[in-house]
Amino acid sequence: MKPFDFFDLDVRKENQYKFRKIKLLISSLLLIMSFTIIGYRTISLANINKDKVSNIAYTTKENKSFQKNLRGNIYDRNNKILATTISTLSLNINPQEILNKYQTITKLTKIFPYLKKEDLVKKLNSNKKHINLLREISPIEYVSLLNAGIEGLKIETTTKRIYPNNTLASHILGATDIDGKGIAGVEKKFDNQLQVGKDVTLSIHGGIQHITRSLLLDQIKKFKADGGAGIIMNAKNGELFSVVSLPDYNANNYNSILNENLFNRATKGIYELGSTLKLITAAIAFESNLINENDVFDVSKPLKISSRIINDFHPLDYAINIPEVIVHSSNIGSAKIAEKFGSATQLKYLRSLGLLNMLSLEIPELGKPQVIRDKKVLSTMTISYGHGISITPMHLASATATIVNSGLKVNPTLIRGKVREKNEVIISKETSIKIKSIMRLVVSNKNGTAKKAEASGYLVGGKTGTAEKINPSGGYYKKKNIVAFTGAFPMNDPQFIITIMIDNPKGQKFSFGYRTAGWVVAPIVKQLVTRVAPILGVKPQLESSPKFSNNLLDFKIRGKNDGANL
Amino acid sequence: MIRYPSSFIFFVILFVGISLYQIKHFITKKEIELALIQNNIKSAKSDINILKAELSYLKRPDRIEKIALNRLGLREILPTDIWDLKDLVDVTFTLSHGEEK
Repeated sequence: MKPFDFFDLDVRKENQYKFRKIKLLISSLLLIMSFTIIGYRTISLANINKDKVSNIAYTTKENKSFQKNLRGNIYDRNNKILATTISTLSLNINPQEILNKYQTITKLTKIFPYLKKEDLVKKLNSNKKHINLLREISPIEYVSLLNAGIEGLKIETTTKRIYPNNTLASHILGATDIDGKGIAGVEKKFDNQLQVGKDVTLSIHGGIQHITRSLLLDQIKKFKADGGAGIIMNAKNGELFSVVSLPDYNANNYNSILNENLFNRATKGIYELGSTLKLITAAIAFESNLINENDVFDVSKPLKISSRIINDFHPLDYAINIPEVIVHSSNIGSAKIAEKFGSATQLKYLRSLGLLNMLSLEIPELGKPQVIRDKKVLSTMTISYGHGISITPMHLASATATIVNSGLKVNPTLIRGKVREKNEVIISKETSIKIKSIMRLVVSNKNGTAKKAEASGYLVGGKTGTAEKINPSGGYYKKKNIVAFTGAFPMNDPQFIITIMIDNPKGQKFSFGYRTAGWVVAPIVKQLVTRVAPILGVKPQLESSPKFSNNLLDFKIRGKNDGANL
Repeated sequence: MIRYPSSFIFFVILFVGISLYQIKHFITKKEIELALIQNNIKSAKSDINILKAELSYLKRPDRIEKIALNRLGLREILPTDIWDLKDLVDVTFTLSHGEEK
């Protein structure tokens, strides 16, 4: 019989017996095959290949704990970790599975002495099926638990956000909640990016941040102040190297910190920063072309406007020009300058310098400036020397950068290497040079208010400001001051901006009872510049050297008794 | 009568069925392997994060400052400690010429 005959019906009819045998054979073969496959699969599934089985089990378990990407890291500008996420173990328990509760409590308290017996009794007698005992246990405790062999325990892998530098840049970094969602600072602003595992590199320099913080903290302690803020920023591109707000907190304990410490004084707190605003007044005056550096203003008598009398802290008995108004920090002079250019011009420049709006910094904690906009002469005058205008120290740093950066707008940023739009021109190069020259004189001239800020070789320039603190219930505190300094270095080519503010310093014996910016803030500037300039790559310069490039103007500044010698 | 095509289709279906079964198992196996590798990567990343965090903790500026000041006897850099290489060459040149004289 040929094989193909099997499919021929006639042939099959003739050989019915033979074909039945063949059919049975095929069926048997198929059955055997099926059972072989089922048997093979059963054995393979039940196969005791320990490694493989545990791997699969591990995969399933780990898949659950690693369902999401690990939250991205936050780095400083030198790629040092400021915030990262690590896996930790949490201890949970199912009270229904525990046979001997007394024994379990004894074992648990032996491993975790900080667990209270009464709490454990309460939890273990609960009707619940899942109770979290500890959110985090150490690897040693984990091993001890395994050795103790307690039934009903469930050890789960969870993640934890940690900040290895504790207090460093805590206000900038912010925090995450229990579910790992950003709730403050950069953690909140870049939450979407960090959630999908992408890293964020900040412009903050860990070392400089630490130096700023420690110097500011020392001074706050010395003068028994309430707090303060310190900013160091690149004068050309606005990259922030340090942003300190004190008092601060350990970023790892965000949820157990008092609200007061969480407040960011550098970017959210708005203050009247006093005479530091005179730099802006001078810039507006030069830019308006209504006044030049040779015009003089009589400051010999207090200025009475409506019911208000404007006085000077260091009165002079002769008429002074704009550089002298700034160096001597004359309120009367500043008010008279502002009267000349008027409210509209003042508000126009304040707006273009970004002092009327919130900044677009990469954290949510930002303060909105408050400015009296009634366009009255008195308001224009007081705003000219920093009263009636409340801004954040970051606003002041940004405006200072714009003024010294040849008038090109500088927007502060916390992100390293951020691509920027073309800089907007706010003031002219000529005005910028005039202001830079005056800023240098405030520090270098013997009559300047910031003499204590002189860091030899680094050509520091700036302006101090001392203002009475606003009383939230109305008016001003007579014995509480806000002292500030804003400046740059080196003034012949400003590379970095320094802005410092200290809240409510108290006069001390060593300061002869003074609590003005010149006594409180200027000394920090000197120490800060001396310490950070080498790190920032700013070389010291000798002004007497023939190589020294001095592009600053030489304004003559008269002292208290030099009235006739202009 | 059973036609040749019918039996051919039967075998093809049988073959395809078995092949699909095998492919499915192959894919499942690979998926497990992939998940395992991905978890290993994540686990390694987590370990790296812990190491980086430990390193960052050890390199805390306040700690380094204390070590530098108290253990190594280092001090802050003063402006007088910083020299331009060109200036140094000039000074050396002047000094050596002075000595010749």
